[in-house]
This record gives sequence, C-alpha cells and structure tokens, in this order.
Amino acid sequence: MTLGTEPATRKGFFTDTTVCIGCKACEVACKQWNQLPDDGQFFTGMSYDNTVDLGASTWRHVAFIERPVPLFADPIPGDSDETFSWLLMSDVCKHCQRAGCLENCPTGAIVRTEFDTVFVQPDVCNGCGYCVVGCPFGVIDRREDDGRAWKCTLCYDRLKDDMEPACAKACPTNSIQFGDLDELRRRAEERVTQLHDRGIGDAYLYGADAAGQPGTEGLNAFFLLVDEPEVYNLPPDPVVPTKKAGAAWLSAAAAALGLLGAAVGAVVMGGRR
Amino acid sequence: MTEPGAGRREAERTEARDGRNIDPEIGALEGEASQQAVPSDRATVEGAVPYSVWGREPTQRPDGATYYDRPAIKEPVWIWAVPAYFYVGGAGGAAAVLGAVAQAADRQGFARLIERCRWIAAAGTASGTALLIYDLGRPARFLNMLRVFRPTSPLNVGSWILAAAGPLAAGSAAFAGSDGPVRRLGDLAGAGAGLLGGPLAAYTAVLVTNTAVPVWQAPRRTLPVLFVSSAASSAASLLELEELDERAHRVVERFGRLAKLVDLAATVAVEREAGRVDRVAQPLKEGLAGALWRAAKALTASSLMLSVLPGSSRAKRVSSGVLGTAGAVALRFAVWHAGTMSARDPRATFEMQRAGHGAAEVTGQVAASGSRGSRAV
Repeated sequence: MTLGTEPATRKGFFTDTTVCIGCKACEVACKQWNQLPDDGQFFTGMSYDNTVDLGASTWRHVAFIERPVPLFADPIPGDSDETFSWLLMSDVCKHCQRAGCLENCPTGAIVRTEFDTVFVQPDVCNGCGYCVVGCPFGVIDRREDDGRAWKCTLCYDRLKDDMEPACAKACPTNSIQFGDLDELRRRAEERVTQLHDRGIGDAYLYGADAAGQPGTEGLNAFFLLVDEPEVYNLPPDPVVPTKKAGAAWLSAAAAALGLLGAAVGAVVMGGRR
Repeated sequence: MTEPGAGRREAERTEARDGRNIDPEIGALEGEASQQAVPSDRATVEGAVPYSVWGREPTQRPDGATYYDRPAIKEPVWIWAVPAYFYVGGAGGAAAVLGAVAQAADRQGFARLIERCRWIAAAGTASGTALLIYDLGRPARFLNMLRVFRPTSPLNVGSWILAAAGPLAAGSAAFAGSDGPVRRLGDLAGAGAGLLGGPLAAYTAVLVTNTAVPVWQAPRRTLPVLFVSSAASSAASLLELEELDERAHRVVERFGRLAKLVDLAATVAVEREAGRVDRVAQPLKEGLAGALWRAAKALTASSLMLSVLPGSSRAKRVSSGVLGTAGAVALRFAVWHAGTMSARDPRATFEMQRAGHGAAEVTGQVAASGSRGSRAV
C-alpha cells in the first residue's frame, strides 16, 4: 500500500512481522523487478528458509524462526496445546540514518538519495569491500564474479516514477508497508498499542527512530518484532562504526607521534659518536 | 513440425540463462541489478549446495538466541593482499620516519642508513599500492579512491595519505645518492615522506577498527598502538638485514628494541581490551588466527631477546631481523584472519552489544530490544 507519494520526502518501509505468512512473494518480486540473478537454487534441507541471508543478489530475505515456546507469553485461553510457534520476518536493507556502508565508502559510490534512502552507484563502485564490514546488519555484500557491492535500492527506479517498491507491492498481507517515514511511524505505534491491548505485550518497534536505536539514529526500514532481535538475526544494540572512530583516530595520532619520538630517541641515543 | 530459426533462438535462450531466466526476445535487461555479472558456468553451479547451511537442527536452543547460528554480519571479503599491505605499508611508513629523523640529525654521517630507509619506504608504498589495487573487485577503477574526500572513511583518508607518501618516498629514494639541487629535492621529499610515514603506519588500525567486526571494533584504543609498533618493528627488522656501519646499527638496534617491546605490550593490551567480552577475544585464542597470534608474539619476543644479548655479529643481527620480520607478518595475518572468524560468530556480535559495548558505550542510551519473556524455555 502506498502512502503520500510526493517526491523528495523521506521514504521507508515498516515491516510488521506479526502478519508475515512467509510466502516469499517479496523475495520473488524483488528478484524479478530488479532482474537479480538467482543464487544457484540450492536446497538447505533443514528449514523452509532456502534463501539463508541477505546478499549481493538477495535484497529481501524471509526468516523462518522455529520456537519451542507458545507464540505469546500469555497463551490464549483454551489454546493450551501451543508448545511450538513460528516467527516470520522479511528482512531488508535498513537504509540507516547513519549508514555504516555509506560512511565507510571511499569512492562516494554510496549516496543518500532525494528519498532519504541509501543507494550504491554500480558505475562508481570499485569493489574495495569496505562497506561490507561497515554494515552492522550484514546486509551489503560484494558479488565475487561481479566484483562490486550490491544491496537493496528501495526500488529507486520505481520511486522516481511514483511507484512503491516491488516487495511492498507484492506483499499480500501488508506486512511490508511503504510510505512517508512519519506516517509509517504513526501507524507502527498504533499497531504496537493495538497488539498490547490484545495482550501481546512483547510487541515493540526495532529501529523506528533515534531514541529507539541511538547507534544508527533510526532506520528508514524498521520492524515490529515480538521477541529479542537476536532471534531474527538482528543485533540488539547496533552502532555505525564511525561513531566509535574518534577514539581510534586519537589513539592512532598518539601512536604516530610516539613513532616519531622513538625515531628521535634512537637517532640521538644510538648516534652518539 | 519445427519452425525455422527455432534452433538459433534456443541457443540464444541458453546464452541468456544467466540466472535471470529472461528471454531476450521478450524481456529487456534494464533493471537496477541487470548489470550484475554472473558466472558463465552458472548451469553447473545450479542445484549444488554452496556451503554447509544449517550446522544444527533449526529449532531454537535456550543457550542464547541466534538465527540457527548463521553469522549476524558479513565476513570481510578482503584477500591476503590486505594484511600483506598492512605489513609493507607499515614497514614503509616507519622507515620513512626513521630516515627523515636521521636526515635531520646528520645527513652526511647517516647517508647509507637514510638511503636504506628511503628504499624500504619506496618499496613498501609501491608494493602496498599494488596489493591494494589487486584486492579490489574492479581494479581498473582504483582511481575512484581519490574521487572524493571523505573524512568518515579511513580507507579514503588512507588512500590520500598513500597517494601523497608513495611518490614522495619514491622520489627521495631515487635522489638519495645525487648531488647539488637534486639531492636537496630528494631531502625535501624524504622529509615529506617522513611526515606522512606515521599517519601511513597508523591509519590502517583505524581502518580495521572502524568496522562492525567485534574483534576489530572492540580494541579500538590499543590496536593503533599495536599496528604502529609492529610497523616500527617491521622497519627495524628489515634494516637489521642490511649491511650498515656500527653507528647506524646502534640507531636501528635502539629503534627496534623499543618497537618490539611496545609491540609485545600492545598485544597484551589488545587481548585485554577485546577480552572485556570473552566471546569477542576468542579468535585470538583458538584456531589458525590464535596460532598466528601466538606465533607472532613468540617470534617478536625471540627477536627482541636476540637483539639485547651482548655481541654485534652480523649473524646475530640477521637472525633477529628474520625473526622480527616473521613475527610482524604473522601478526598482520593473525589480525586479518581473526576478523573473519569473529564475523562468522553471531554470539560475538550479540554478547558484545548485550554487555553494553554496542552503541550504548558511545551514546549512553540502550536500544529498544524487546523482552525475554516469551522466549524462556
């Protein structure tokens, strides 16, 4: 569903995992629209998840979480047989407000678009691989045979034509909602309140804003979860590495001065005739 | 009945089987990822399981949640050329500093030491540049590194440092033996390379710590000290292999002893800083990375011990230089490999952040991360 499609506003995804049915229509729609090559079509054999993770040619990934616990902390009366539950989540690039990939990119290939999304320009990327280790979510990856880094573009081409991203368009349950960030946040908070009122006290928003996730200053693609982030393979307190670089630069400056001091000391002491 | 041209179209379709299954007669390849290259032998890859996917049964276990033990972050794509660059670039940078200081102290008396320092600096920066270009996914686009100036990216800052230090080091080496104005030009280049040598040896540590990889991010205060001392130890060890006069050897010896001592202290400091969360320091203790890390310490320690023993035979110096070089190379490869191991371990990422060493230690706030209520088994 699309909300307010005027260009040059902040766009994003709200992924409500409680209504995801694991149909993988988002994965297929993404592959098809973006003309991404397949990943070799292998069969993992132990889970319904044959996609495994996000990568250079996988920009949506549905996680299938099998839990040996009831779906909710307070089981529904008369439904006492629930000793097993599924959690499903369609994962995607988070388009962070402080994006590790963008801040690490040495070539300027990774830019922030007029829609406030994070975009890799394939004609500039030289495949240095520094964005890969800069992402605290393990999203962006370099495709070995291509040599460049790739990730979700939030369908930049569709956004320019006033269309919603392919995954959101294809999602049959509206688990993936696309729109203006402010509006998405309002709906997400309403949904959390609604779930809390229904007795699902575990529901919370992951990365909805800077207060909720100070390390990234908020995600343009945020999630509604009902268990710890680790269960969904999301980090509990992610941080853009650059936020910690100051200490490293200070230490490096001190060490470089120390090197100069050591050289002076060695030349003066050892150089005495 | 077969229609004419069917064979040719079938051949085209097979060619177009690049994993996209787009018939070129019907569909145009214009999507945002349509330029993504795929291997020509795609057909043989299909159907194969590329790696062991689930290492265990998918159902959750109570010992700390992960997604089937799959990595939470991507592992570095850097090949061996990157740790090799850390070594040669570090050695080159430290040699440039020593050469410039010796030049300022006594240009005539230290002429041979200065020349050897300059050649190490020139060779280190030149081979380092080649190694970095070799590591790129698209080596032909290496100049894009200097397309922008981006202070948030240590790789960009480092590229600018290397781009300035490399030509200066090469010029200083080429003009080291000249006379007159050319020699003064060489001295000027040597001084410039000396100024950039420290930053060149140090920035690689910031490059490594400015990542999401736990074992690299956690020791961000001590790793720069280790990288710079290892660089100084690398340069001193190479100079120990050279034939120099006694006075120059005394300089190299003092420089090397201090470097190796600080290097050893810094390895312990890095272990402690990374070890604030046990799981984070684990790659430094076990497996190939752990073995390399221990070997680096043992080799550097034996090189140091040899250099403080009495005597000044060439054999002793060369042995110390060889041990020190091996130790410095082992250290760079240990750090590189530890990063891969750390990235593969989701618990390192999760436990570090749960212990307050995620965003909390720089922002003072904790991210909303749900309750443990429903997960209790």
